[in-house]
Amino acid sequence: MTKRIFRRMDFALIAATVGIIIMSLIIIGSATHINTPSQERYWFVQRQGLFAIIDVALAVFFMNFDYKMLQGYGNKLYIFNLVMLLAVMLVGHSALGAQRWISIGPINIQPSEFSKLIMIISLAGLLEDRLGKINTVHDLLPIAAYVGVPFLLVLKQPDLGTSLVFMAIFFGMVFVCGIRLKLLGGIFLAGIACCPILWHFLKDYQKMRIMVFMDPNVDPLGSGYHIIQSKIAIGSGMLFGKGLFGGTQSQLNFLPENHTDFIFAVVGEELGFIGAAVLLLLYLVVLWRGVQIAKDASDMFGRLLATGITSMLAFHVLVNVGMTTGIMPVTGIPLPFMSYGVSSLTTNILAIAVLLNIQLRKQKLLF
Amino acid sequence: MENEEYEGRIKALGIMVVMVIAILIARVGYLQVFDGEYYASLADGNRIRIIPSMAPRGTFYDRNGALLVTNRPGFTVSLLPLTAPVSEDVIERLSQLLHVPVEDIHAKVDAHSGFDPIRIKQDVTSDIVSIIEEQKNLYPGVVIEVQPIRNYILKQEAAHTFGYVSEISDEELERRKDEGYKSGDIIGKFGLEKIYDHELRGENGGEQVEVDVSGKPVQILGIKEPVPGADLYLTIDKNLQMAAEQAVDDQLAMIHASAAAAVVLNPQTGEVLAMVSRPAFDPNLFAHGISTKDWNEINNNPYHPMDNKAITGEYPPGSTFKIVTGTAALAAGKVSPEEKIFDSGHHWIIPKGNADGEALGWLNFTEAMAHSDNVYFYEMGNRLGIDNLEHYARMFGLGKVTGIDLPYEADGLVANRAYKRKVFDDDWYLSETFDAAIGQGFNLVTPLQAAMVMGEIAANGKCYKPHLVNRIMTQDGKIIKEFQPELLSELDVSQNVINLVQTGLHDVTKYGTAARIFAGFPVEIAGKTGTAENSQGRDHGWFVAYGPFDNPTVVVAVIVEQGGYGATSAVPIGRKILEAAFGLNQPAAAPAPANGQAAP
Repeated sequence: MTKRIFRRMDFALIAATVGIIIMSLIIIGSATHINTPSQERYWFVQRQGLFAIIDVALAVFFMNFDYKMLQGYGNKLYIFNLVMLLAVMLVGHSALGAQRWISIGPINIQPSEFSKLIMIISLAGLLEDRLGKINTVHDLLPIAAYVGVPFLLVLKQPDLGTSLVFMAIFFGMVFVCGIRLKLLGGIFLAGIACCPILWHFLKDYQKMRIMVFMDPNVDPLGSGYHIIQSKIAIGSGMLFGKGLFGGTQSQLNFLPENHTDFIFAVVGEELGFIGAAVLLLLYLVVLWRGVQIAKDASDMFGRLLATGITSMLAFHVLVNVGMTTGIMPVTGIPLPFMSYGVSSLTTNILAIAVLLNIQLRKQKLLF
Repeated sequence: MENEEYEGRIKALGIMVVMVIAILIARVGYLQVFDGEYYASLADGNRIRIIPSMAPRGTFYDRNGALLVTNRPGFTVSLLPLTAPVSEDVIERLSQLLHVPVEDIHAKVDAHSGFDPIRIKQDVTSDIVSIIEEQKNLYPGVVIEVQPIRNYILKQEAAHTFGYVSEISDEELERRKDEGYKSGDIIGKFGLEKIYDHELRGENGGEQVEVDVSGKPVQILGIKEPVPGADLYLTIDKNLQMAAEQAVDDQLAMIHASAAAAVVLNPQTGEVLAMVSRPAFDPNLFAHGISTKDWNEINNNPYHPMDNKAITGEYPPGSTFKIVTGTAALAAGKVSPEEKIFDSGHHWIIPKGNADGEALGWLNFTEAMAHSDNVYFYEMGNRLGIDNLEHYARMFGLGKVTGIDLPYEADGLVANRAYKRKVFDDDWYLSETFDAAIGQGFNLVTPLQAAMVMGEIAANGKCYKPHLVNRIMTQDGKIIKEFQPELLSELDVSQNVINLVQTGLHDVTKYGTAARIFAGFPVEIAGKTGTAENSQGRDHGWFVAYGPFDNPTVVVAVIVEQGGYGATSAVPIGRKILEAAFGLNQPAAAPAPANGQAAP
C-alpha cells in the first residue's frame, strides 16, 4: 500500500510546492532581518517554517483518508464557514482598516483564508451532480446564492481581495461544470453594466486604489506609494538582482509590507528577472499539475475540487504579482506559499494535499 | 468520466493558467530587463542623498601675517528631502526647538526641489545640536550640517574694506549661474569679499550617504572633500588700521561728530595700509542672516553706515585742492615761486577772501600754501582759467575712479565748463573759477582721491594704483596672484615744480595751518588742511599729509564730516595715524603690543 501510494505521488507538484516554500523562507528572512532586533531576527522565518512542517505533517496525515468523504461534510463545512465568518465580525480584531483576525490562544487566525478552501469543498459538493445542468438563470440562482452569502460576509469585513477570490473559484468551477457559455457571457455583460453601481458601494480607500491603479502618480506619497515603490524595487533588480539582503528598496524600508503582500517585489529586487521567472515557472508547474489532476480525477467531485483549487491559486498569483508589477489594482491578497502568514500557508498546503489526494485516487488506480 | 463532452472546459482552464503565467513573466521581464536601468536610477534616487559640505572661505591676513578674517564652525539644522513626506510631528517639534514658525518650515520644504538638504536654521547653538543628536529617533530626516561661518575678528573695524558675505540673491544667481554659483550659496556682497569672491569661495565638497525611508543615514558611500578658498594677504597693517580706527573714534566722540573717513597708503607702491569709514557696521551680523532689528538700526542711521565713505563719499576738496591749483600755476608758468601777492583780506576783482576775513599781506608761493591763503589761490585761478585747472586736476587723476580693488568706488567731479553747460545749461563765470581754485563749487573728491593727489606729490609725480591685496595664495602655498606696484600715470610737470609744492606743504606743519598740532613731531611731515563748505550743515574738515618728508612711505587723508575746521577736526586724527605709522605711539601704549598681536 505505502509503496503504491509512493509510486502514485505527484512528485512534480510536490517538488514545485516545496521549492516555492523554501524560496519563501529565504526571502522572508531577507525581507524581515533588517528591521527586527537581532535576537528576534529570524522570528518570522522560524514561525513560517514551523507551520510549514506542521502543515505538511497534517497533509501527510490526511493522505490516509479518501477525499471523497469530504463530500458528505460539504453542508456542515458550509455552516461552519458562515459561523466562522460571523465570529470574525463579532469578536475579531482589526488591522490595516479591516476586521480579519480572530485569536485562538497565541495564534491569530484569518478565517477568510480557510473559508476559500471550505468554499471549494462545499461548492464541489453542491455542483457534483449538476454537470451540464446549468443552462438558465433559474439553474444558476441557487448556486449563486450559496456562494453569495459567505461572499457578502467577507466583503463586509471588508476584504475585497478574498471576496474576489470567491468569485474566481465560483466562475472556475461552474465553467468546468459545463455552464452554458451564453449564460456565462450574459453574467459578464451584466457585471460590466453594474460596475458604475458597484463603484458607489466601494469604500473611499478602495476607490482610491482603483484610481491609483490607473495612474499611481495621482497620489505618489499616499495610495500610489506602494505601487510606485514596488515597481521600482522589481525594475531595479534587473536581470540578476541585487543579491539576497542586498535590495535597497526592501532593506531600507522604502517598500512596506515586504514580507507579506509585496514579497514578490523582494524576489524581483534581490533575485532579479531570473529569480522572478523561476518562481513564476514553479507556479506554472503547480497550476499545470492542478489542471491535469482535475482532468484525471476519478469523479466529478474530485474534478471540481481540483478546478476550484487551481482557480484559487491561479487567481492569487495573477492578482498578487499583477499588483506588485502594477498591472492590477492593489487588493490585499497574499502570494500563495510565499507571503508570510500562517493561515494562508496552511490553507494552501492543505489545498495541495487535496490535489495530491485526488491524484492518488484517480480512476486508473486499481485497489 | 461519464461525460467527455466537458473535457474541453478543462483544456481551456489549462490554457488560461499558462496565459496567466506567461503574461506575468512578460510583465516582470518588461520591468526588469527593458526598463531596469530606469528603475535602478529611481531606486538610487530613493536611497542616495548628497549632503554638501561647504568649502571654508579663504582667510584674510594683514601685511605682517596677522589674522583679520577667518571662519568658525557653525551648525546648521537641515531636513533631508525624502520620498515620504516629513511628518507633522517632526516639523512641530523642530519648530519649537528652533523657534522657527511651522509655516516657515513648510514654506522652505515646499519651495525646495532636488535632493540636497533643506536648510531650516543656520548657526544654531551646540545645545540644540546635542538635543537633536541625542534624540535622533524624535527627529528622523533632520541632519546637522557643519558649515563654516565667516568670522570678522575685528568686528566693525575695517568692515567696509573686508565687506561681508550672505546668501546669494535670486538676481545674483541669475547673473552668475554659469560661474558655478548655486542656490543657497554664500557669496561676498561687499568689499574685498565681493571683489575676490571667486578666489575666496573654494570648491564645495559633499558626502554621498545612503538613507533609509525615514531619512536616517545608514552608511556613507563616498566623500568629496571641499577645497578651501584661497587666502588674501592684504596690504593692510592691522596695528595701523586699529590705531586709525581708534583715532577717528576718539576724535568723533570728542567733537560730537558722527561720520568720518581716513585712508592711509604708501605713495611709492599704492598699497593701502589702512582705511576707515564711520559710522561702521559689524559684518558678523550678516554671516548668518541679519535680524530685522539690526538691519533697521543700520538702515535708519542718517549717516549711512553701509557706505564706505573712503571711496564712495564725494566731498568738496576744500583747500586740499590748492595742491592741484598750486602745481598747475607753477607748471603753466602763471606765477614764479618768488612772486609775492598781496592779501588785503579779499581779492580785488571779486570780493572773496579768507574764511574769517583775515588779511595776511604779501605772500610768496610757499607761504601762501603754508597759510592756505585764499586770495593768493583765487589769483592763481584767475590767471590759469578754468580749462587749465581742469586739465591739471585730471592730470592728478581726479574726476575718475582710482581703480582700487573695492566695489562701488565713486568718480568724484572736476569743475569744468561742459559739466555746467550740461547740468545747469549756463555759461561759466569767473567767480566759479575762483571757487574751483580753492576746491569749492563743483569740485568733488573722495578721501581716497585726496590721498592719491597728496601721494603723487610725495612720490615726485608718480601715481601708483591703490590696492588692498598683496597676494592671493592657496592653503597649500601656491600663489595664485601677486600684485606688484602698478604705475598708472606721472604728472607732466618738472621736478622743480614738485619740489616747490613739497616745500610749501612741508611748511604747513612748520609754521602753517597744521603747525600747532605738529609742533615737536619727530618725523618731518608735509600736510595740507582743508575746510569744505557744506550746504547741508557744518563744514567738513580735511587733512592730507605724507611723511617722512625726504622719503615718503605714508600718505594720509582724513575727512571729518561736519567737523568744522580741518585744522581742529581732521589734523589731530592725521597726527595720531602718522604716529602709529611711524611707531611713535609705542611708548605711550607700552602694554599694547600684546594687544595688537592678540590673535595669532
